[in-house]
Amino acid sequence: MANHQTNSVNENDNKINLTITTPRGVKFVEKADMLIMRCIDGDLGILPGHEPVSAVLGDGILRIFNNGVEKKLAVFGGIVEIEDKTVNLLSTIAQRPEEIDLERAERDRQEAEAAILEESEEHQTRRLQVLLHRSLVRIEVSTHLEEAEYTKDTDEGEND
Amino acid sequence: MTSMRDIKQRIANVSSTEQIIKAMDMIASTKLHKARAQLKGVRPIYRKLKCIVEELGSREGAETHVFYQERQVRNSLYIILTSDRGFSGGYNVNIIAKALEHMDQGKNEKILVVGSKGCEYFKKREKNIIRKITDVADAQMYYGTESIAKWVATLYLSGEVEEVFIAYTHFENVLSYVPYVEKLLPVPIVAIDMADNSDRKYEPDIHTFIDNMIPLYLHMNLFRAFSESHTSEQAARMVSMDAAGKNAEEMIEELTRMYNRKRQTAITQELSEIVGSANILHKGGIDES
Repeated sequence: MANHQTNSVNENDNKINLTITTPRGVKFVEKADMLIMRCIDGDLGILPGHEPVSAVLGDGILRIFNNGVEKKLAVFGGIVEIEDKTVNLLSTIAQRPEEIDLERAERDRQEAEAAILEESEEHQTRRLQVLLHRSLVRIEVSTHLEEAEYTKDTDEGEND
Repeated sequence: MTSMRDIKQRIANVSSTEQIIKAMDMIASTKLHKARAQLKGVRPIYRKLKCIVEELGSREGAETHVFYQERQVRNSLYIILTSDRGFSGGYNVNIIAKALEHMDQGKNEKILVVGSKGCEYFKKREKNIIRKITDVADAQMYYGTESIAKWVATLYLSGEVEEVFIAYTHFENVLSYVPYVEKLLPVPIVAIDMADNSDRKYEPDIHTFIDNMIPLYLHMNLFRAFSESHTSEQAARMVSMDAAGKNAEEMIEELTRMYNRKRQTAITQELSEIVGSANILHKGGIDES
């Protein structure tokens, strides 16, 4: 009994305390075994006991692994502060799969794709690419729930 | 001497005003409720960002970054948040007085004024208004502040202004709100005890981090200041409308009392006149018979 208790304490001790704060308040407080997030220059994976790092986030998926379960969140921009076992993520947008309007994301994607082909100005195409990328992230995060056939499409988009 | 009809007219006037006051009170309290929820949401992220930004300032390499570097000040930008509408007690007066007091310390000011009340005031005073923003819809506040933050950053980077201040009203509770003038840029460097985490690393490097961090910080800071001011405005309006409503009620009571007294006097007078004339008629009748 005593052994079991210490075990569970240890288990909790060895997890990351993740806090996500958005302009609508502290949105997400959870424990996790591992985190993978998209920074502006590539993915960043975090395990408990990470060295103190502050990083700039890009538009992408935040993957949270806990007890073998993976959760995905769409996070657009912001910064993250990592220290040992605490991760403070500050972002303007952080969406759960159930909060994403899939139809709207699809529509955004189609519109952006169509517009990119027509647009020639570089400044505009960059803006459209951001829009397209964001819609793809949203689509992937929200279809994670049901594992629909979009996944293949979006994987391509993610690797771009 | 006011006649009974005048008093009645006044009662009607006051009570219709009272109804307007009550409606305004109700609108303000609903808006206050919403504004408080928004403010409650934005405060945590602002506080955390502020901590990080201030801590960043004491890092090696940060003080040379343009957002932290103190330059020789020729022009100062003031962002002054006032309201679009009146009936909010001393709200606008307080914030304007505070801003003026700060500006009078020998600053060469350029003003970004938000809200028509402040706009009118500074125009009359012939201050150097370089941009004015009025009629910001509550729902547009978030994206509005984002574009303002971008505008401020460009102005600062282009060297048109060397420092940026913001004058806003901090909301403490429904009865107390304090006007503040705070320095936005360059970010004031606060000496922090560095013992606990002096080996923090920055990805990809500290300058890129600051480049991305400051716009986010500015946006959140502005959004928070707007929310604080908006909440204070609604609270101030609610409180003054409450007071006005009470005054109107008292006034109606007073006037009704006055009216009733007049009415009674008139009735008494009429009665005594009737009795008197009846008596005379009666006497005349006896005389005739």
